[in-house]
Amino acid sequence: MRIVVCYKCVPEEQDLKIRPDRTPDWSGAARKIGQYDLNAIEAGVRLAESAGGEVLALTAGAGVGDSKLQKAVLSRGPAAMYGIKTDEETVSDSLATAWLLKAGIEKIGGVDLVLCGEGSGDIYAQQVGPLLGALLGWRTLNAVSALSFAGGALRAERALENSREVLLADLPAVAALTTDANLPRIPGMKDILAAGKKPVAVWDAAEVSAPPPRGAEIVSILAPEKRERRQIIVEGESEESLAAFYGHLRKVLR
Amino acid sequence: MKKLKSVWIIAGGAERIAELSAGAAAWGEETALLYAGEREKAAGAGTVYYLGPLTGVSYLSYIPAIVALVREKQPELVLVESSRNGRLAAAAVAAAVGVSALTDIDSLEADEDGGGIVGRRMVYGGAAWKTERVSGPTAVVCVGAGVFPPGETPPPGEVIETRSEAAPGIRLLERKENPAQNVNLPAAGRIVGVGRGLGAAENLGAVRAFAAALGAEIACSRPVAEEERWLPKERYIGVSGVIAKPDVYIACGVSGQVQHMAGIDRAGVIVAVNKDKNAPVFRQCDYGLVADLNAVLPRLTELFI
Repeated sequence: MRIVVCYKCVPEEQDLKIRPDRTPDWSGAARKIGQYDLNAIEAGVRLAESAGGEVLALTAGAGVGDSKLQKAVLSRGPAAMYGIKTDEETVSDSLATAWLLKAGIEKIGGVDLVLCGEGSGDIYAQQVGPLLGALLGWRTLNAVSALSFAGGALRAERALENSREVLLADLPAVAALTTDANLPRIPGMKDILAAGKKPVAVWDAAEVSAPPPRGAEIVSILAPEKRERRQIIVEGESEESLAAFYGHLRKVLR
Repeated sequence: MKKLKSVWIIAGGAERIAELSAGAAAWGEETALLYAGEREKAAGAGTVYYLGPLTGVSYLSYIPAIVALVREKQPELVLVESSRNGRLAAAAVAAAVGVSALTDIDSLEADEDGGGIVGRRMVYGGAAWKTERVSGPTAVVCVGAGVFPPGETPPPGEVIETRSEAAPGIRLLERKENPAQNVNLPAAGRIVGVGRGLGAAENLGAVRAFAAALGAEIACSRPVAEEERWLPKERYIGVSGVIAKPDVYIACGVSGQVQHMAGIDRAGVIVAVNKDKNAPVFRQCDYGLVADLNAVLPRLTELFI
């Protein structure tokens, strides 16, 4: 089995600065693997550990050519990493991102299963995995909370709002994992050292694909206007404090 | 606003169908619903395309039929319920018509000048709004609860059975219903939100009593649902969870992380109880009480009964 796990390197939220015109300023922000993608990576590695096969990591955009981020993904278990160079704007669009990942998967070749996180850590539209499956024309599942191989097919549990369903899907397939699918491992020193020796392939977007179509056009990205709240704070647990607080509560609950 | 010619709905639950149907009627001259499930519940739009039952079949099996119908009839706007099946269907349709689906949209507008449909969603863990325009022949939008005001739903129309072939290569082995998790936080007028400051699951009883006295729904922060598992996931408020806009939100033991507060930003009044005076929630609330939650909650409940 050849499993490809897709991930996105997203900016560290704590490093976000907001400019006076409310536009976000990410200059100087560190990058990390999207938190939801860690579940996809872990799921792929566990599948290969239990059923055999190889796990390859694939990303587009930030983190390609950055040795620290490349090591970060490889230390989690994948045997090799493939990166498609492209700009930030391209990978902020679901369709363009899925298009590039599809091209990468076709270039890797012989892929049986693609795993994605539920959504990217920054935009979280939860569309890239499902779009990728649709573009590839493969069996596509989202909300997958458990998966295994069964007789050459994928056995997947989907956690829906009001039910859980267990499905058997023929391969090749694309699955987007939920966050409770597993607990991603924390790489040890040995994993980190081994990661440095694993192969990394970097492609320019033009090498793998025609320019990807944009599925939507960004009108603006703006921090919300600060809403001023009254901030009337009562301190302490005395009768008086509670009575004062109760007075406020009663007013708003009327 | 100039109406679109044709607006479609993809939804399952009656409540969501009613809401999206009101939205579709406001936006379009003609409306249609794509529905799988119990045949007698296939209603709520001018035309209903009945895909088939969901007994023994996964919703996934109907996605190719949904795509084929959209390709054939080319509605200008497809409104999809923000559910897991909905997001999957939205992506399949979006891929077929060559757009990105706008998901978890909190507002939707027609761009009278530039053309196209403009929607807005939260990004970066609630730190910003991303506004996007889709200008294809068909726009696909996943709409969360509470976006469209209730309105008139179109009179029941024709039901067309699509008799579509189920998608090959996917088989449902088992389904377990868990209807207990039905909670409509976006529609709640009052919400009591629980944070990690509650300390332990045993203390939930006091919160339940308090919420009951106030006639409020109970919600929580992400760590309470996903890490502590004191409450089900369906009840967590935040960017990756539920976005709610109650008249009153009472944050109990919630620290006030941006991801959580973004999900409740549009509450009319925010009230906070937390023993940590420096908790960020106190800078984002209207009324606050600095006190040990478990000591004051039963006393407050008594005052309200």
